[in-house]
Amino acid sequence: MATINLVDLHKDYGNSHAVRGINLSVADGELIVLVGPSGCGKSTLLRMVAGLETVSSGRIEIGGRDVVKAEPAERDIAMVFQNYALYPHMTVRGNLEYGLKNRGTPRAEIDRRVNEAAEILEIGPMLDRKPRQLSGGQRQRVAMGRAIVREPAAFLFDEPLSNLDAKLRVQMRVEIRKLQRRLKTTSLYVTHDQLEAMTLADRLVVMNGGLVEQIGTPTEVYDRPATLFVASFIGSPPMNLLPVSALGNTQGLNLPAGTDMVGIRPDQMHLEPRPGATALPATAELLEPIGGESHLHLRLDSGHSVILSVPGRPSITEGTAVTVYIEPAALHPFDSKTGRRTDA
Amino acid sequence: MQTKRTIFPNKLLPYVLLLPQLAVTLIFFIWPALQAVKSSFEREDPFGFRTTFIWFENYTRLFADPNYVNSLSRTAVFAVSVTILSMCVSLLLAVAVNRVLRTNRIYTTLLVWPYAVAPVVVGILWWFIFNPTIGILPYMMRGLGVAWNPRVNGDQAMILVIIAASWKQISYNFLFFVAGLQSVPQSLTEAAAIDGAGPFKRFFTIVLPLLSPTTFFLLIVNINYAMFDTFGIIDATTSGGPNQATNTLVYKVYADGFLGLNIGSSAAQSVILMLIVIALTAIQFRFIERRVQY
Ligand SMILES: Nc1ncnc2c1ncn2[C@@H]1O[C@H](COP(=O)(O)OP(=O)(O)OP(=O)(O)O)[C@@H](O)[C@H]1O
Ligand SMILES: [Mg+2]
Repeated sequence: MATINLVDLHKDYGNSHAVRGINLSVADGELIVLVGPSGCGKSTLLRMVAGLETVSSGRIEIGGRDVVKAEPAERDIAMVFQNYALYPHMTVRGNLEYGLKNRGTPRAEIDRRVNEAAEILEIGPMLDRKPRQLSGGQRQRVAMGRAIVREPAAFLFDEPLSNLDAKLRVQMRVEIRKLQRRLKTTSLYVTHDQLEAMTLADRLVVMNGGLVEQIGTPTEVYDRPATLFVASFIGSPPMNLLPVSALGNTQGLNLPAGTDMVGIRPDQMHLEPRPGATALPATAELLEPIGGESHLHLRLDSGHSVILSVPGRPSITEGTAVTVYIEPAALHPFDSKTGRRTDA
Repeated sequence: MQTKRTIFPNKLLPYVLLLPQLAVTLIFFIWPALQAVKSSFEREDPFGFRTTFIWFENYTRLFADPNYVNSLSRTAVFAVSVTILSMCVSLLLAVAVNRVLRTNRIYTTLLVWPYAVAPVVVGILWWFIFNPTIGILPYMMRGLGVAWNPRVNGDQAMILVIIAASWKQISYNFLFFVAGLQSVPQSLTEAAAIDGAGPFKRFFTIVLPLLSPTTFFLLIVNINYAMFDTFGIIDATTSGGPNQATNTLVYKVYADGFLGLNIGSSAAQSVILMLIVIALTAIQFRFIERRVQY
C-alpha cells in the first residue's frame, strides 16, 4: 500500500526528450492507466518509476519516500513485462519464489504465498512446469503471480496483454481488474489500447510527446477532452473535428470566445431532426455495419468528412443525400491555436 | 525451418560434385589414419629393412611406460588449466564488453585479434615475454624476489605454455560468449533486479544458466584445442621440456616418432589420441542435438 508522486519528471536521451516534465499523484490503491500513441514516453516513465531507467531531473516518491537514487530492488515495486520476462530455466514455482528467496523470506512464508497466488490465478497444476511448456495466457498468469507473491507497494504493468489474442486479452483484462480491486495495490498500467485504458482505469493519464495532455477518470476524459489531441485519441470511432465555419450559422450555438474548432462524437450526430439542433446537409459515402450499430461515413456539403455511429443498419445507399442534426450541447469547443478547450 | 531440396536430373552428377572434397579427405585424412592404425600394430627394425606384425605390444608397452602415463596426467593438467583459464578470462571480458557493446565496437575487434595469430607466433611471443634472460616478466618477477626460469623449472614451464595456449583461445571463446550474452533478453536481468537480485546474483542465477549451452559447447571445443591443437605453441616455447615437464600427448607423438624414430609407438599414441577425439566429438554432437533445453 502506498501513494506514488511524480514531480516534474524529465528524461532526456542525448538531445531527444522522451519525458518532458510530468506531475502525477497516485492515491493509495488507485489504478492509473498511462495511455498514448507509440513513442510518447509511457514505457520510459514506467521504467523510471521502476528504477530501470535513470531520471534526468525531477522527483519520484513511493510511499512518501524519495526513491530517485534507490535501486529497483529497494523500491518495493513489482513489474509485469510485455514479454512476461519469465526465467526460462526455472519452473513456475522457481519463478514465483525467486524474488522472495532473494529477500530472505522464511520457507513457510514463501510456500504460503506461492500457494495462495497459485490458487488465485489458477496455476496450481503448472507449478512444476517450465515456462516454455505453458501457453501465452498461462505465462501471463505466472507473470502476474510473480508480481503478487511479493506483496509489493505498487504494481507496474507495461502493456502486459499486448501479446495475447483478442479474446484472451478481454478475459485477462477483467481478471487484472478484479485482482487489483481485491488486493487494493496501487498500480501504474501502460497501454496504447484505449479500450483497455477506459475499462481498467480509476484515472487515465493521456500522454503525447512526453507530456501529459489530460488526467481524469475515463468518463471525464471521454466527456470533456481537455485538448484536441485527447479528443481525437480517445473514442472509437474518433471524435469528428470540424472548423466552426463548417457549421454555417453559429449565432444560436453560444460558442465561447476563441473557439475555431468543434468536436462532435460520432454517436452525437443524428439523422432525425431534434429540437434546437443545427442541420447540416451531407452525402453518404460509405456504410459499415459492425453488428449492433453501423458506421456511416458522410461528406458534408462544406467538404468535410465525418463519421456517424448509428444504431442498427439504416438502409442508406452510397451517394444518397442526407441531413445531419447536431444539438448545441453535444459540441466540444476548441481553440486550434492552443489546442485546448475553450469552455474549461 | 524449411530445407530446400535440389533434385539432380543426372544420378552421377552429385557424386562428381562431391568428388574433390572426398578425394582430399581420403588422401589426407582417412588414408594416413589407416596407415597409423596399421603401423601401430607393427615393429620396424632400426634400419627400416623389416617390419614385424606384433599385435598390441606397442600399446601394452605404452601403458607400462612411466613416461607415457606421466604425459597423460600432464596433458590432463594442461588441458583442464587451459580450458578453465581461457574460458574464465574470456567470459569476464565478454561480460565487460556486453555492457558497452552498443557504443563500442572497436573494443570487440581488438579482443578478437589474438585468434588470427599463428600458434607458432603466439608461442614465440610468450617465449620472449617469459624469457629468463631478455623477457620483461622475469625481469619484473626478479624484482619481486621470484626466481623465474622455465628452462629449468618444470612447473614454470607448464605455467608458461598454459598461459600462451589460453591467450590464443580467449578470443574464440570471447566471440561465442558475447553472442551468448547478447541473446539473453535484457528484460530478464531487469526482472531479476526488481526481484531483489544484485549484479552478482543476477549473473550466477540468471545469465550463467542461460549461457550453459554456449559454455558446454566451448568446454568441448577448448579441451579439444588444448589436447590436440597446441603443438605449435609447445614446440616454439618449451619443446616439451624441461625434463618432459610439458611433453603433452600430442607433442610426444611428434617427439617419439620424428625425433625418436619409434614409428610403431608413435602410431599407437596417435591412435589413442584419435579415439579420444572421437569420444569428445560424440559427446559434443549428442549435446548439440539437445542444446535448446535449459
Ligand atoms: N534507450 C533509449 N535511447 C534513446 N532513445 C530512447 C531510448 N528508449 C526510448 N527512447 C525514445 O524515447 C521515446 C519514448 O519511448 P518509450 O519507449 O517510452 O515509448 P512508448 O510510449 O512506451 O511507446 P510504445 O507504445 O511504442 O511502447 C521514443 O521516442 C524512443 O525512441
Ligand atoms: Mg512502450
